[in-house]
Amino acid sequence: MTKTYHPLVKRLLDGELSLSDLPLELRGEGAEALRLLGAVDRAPVALSAQFEARVMAEVRRRAGSPMRRFWRGLVEPRDIELRLRLRPGIVWGAALAAAAALALLLTRPSQAPDGARPVRLAARDSVYVRFVLYAPTARRVAVAGTFNQWDQNASPLARVGGGGVWAITLALPQGHHQYAFVVDGGQWVPDPAAPGVDDGFGRRNSMVAVTARGARIL
Amino acid sequence: MGQREQATDGEVVRAVLAGDVEQYAVLVHRYRDRYARFAARMLGSLDAAEDAVQDAFVRAFDQLAQCREPAKFAGWLFLILRNRCFAEQRRRTREGRGLEATDEAIAGPDRPDGNVEQIEQAHALERALVDLTPEQREVFVLKHVEGLAYDEISGMTGATVASLKMRMHRAYDRLRELLKEHT
Repeated sequence: MTKTYHPLVKRLLDGELSLSDLPLELRGEGAEALRLLGAVDRAPVALSAQFEARVMAEVRRRAGSPMRRFWRGLVEPRDIELRLRLRPGIVWGAALAAAAALALLLTRPSQAPDGARPVRLAARDSVYVRFVLYAPTARRVAVAGTFNQWDQNASPLARVGGGGVWAITLALPQGHHQYAFVVDGGQWVPDPAAPGVDDGFGRRNSMVAVTARGARIL
Repeated sequence: MGQREQATDGEVVRAVLAGDVEQYAVLVHRYRDRYARFAARMLGSLDAAEDAVQDAFVRAFDQLAQCREPAKFAGWLFLILRNRCFAEQRRRTREGRGLEATDEAIAGPDRPDGNVEQIEQAHALERALVDLTPEQREVFVLKHVEGLAYDEISGMTGATVASLKMRMHRAYDRLRELLKEHT
């Protein structure tokens, strides 16, 4: 069985020590180990000349697929004239939990509730969704999601009273929207009141479904 | 591409999300080579690497709306490619065929700074690399091929520096063992 490298030799390979830092009896082992690293091939790798064309062909094909057009139609804000809906105020209640909550409400788009700060005019049948986070030590809170291209600056929450509650009301088009809160400009916080979904890369996003009948967290 | 190439990743991602699909070519051009070498060393084959990088770009496009921080597209794309490389290894293991280093993925005889002995050593190391666990191989490639520091690798992969060092030190021992077997 092959002997393992001495811990000091491993530090040599890590670049934390030089060969002359090793005791004399380890320098032979150190030199052998460095030959291992000397064999590392760092040469660039050349992809085929058609690589970019192939990727873009596939991207264009997918961009034009009915599923993607459907998805974009659901989640993309559109600058079109608002169609007023004569519906009474709150449909989905404000469930402010001890930790945090997302409050969703459906109202006439022309009568935004106090503090509502829509990012832009939303599509017809838009629904006002109120995002609420309890974060008493935060200096800044924003909500970012698929509805604002994850822009951390587009939708800052405002303090509500002095109790550490932050809130914003946004007009969202119908569809499914993933989102998360951004605290103090760098800490991503999924909505503790929403189960959330895995974004596929080890992090969780919260999800809200907005329909003409209201909105609910998923 | 001119002005398009000067746009930041965040600007390009937002343009693509807004419907300008052609802007995605800027990102493909910008990152294809950076990640091709990583994939080739992870998978031991240039063909497999090209497939993996292509899949990663396409998957990233499909899921671009989930990219929370468009300015960090490169790191996000890396995670997609990394998962793709790991999945490829798992698939081959399930099918009873491990990774196999192929000659075209590694130093060729026309390597300008190489001699025959160096090239043989490079081939031997490449064959040994594909016998490491994916996690060991990843940290070795990122540190010794891509030249990243442990804290940079930690930022990319989410693993702690201590666990990365543990993986690497096990990789050193395993490589020593494998290279003895190969010689």
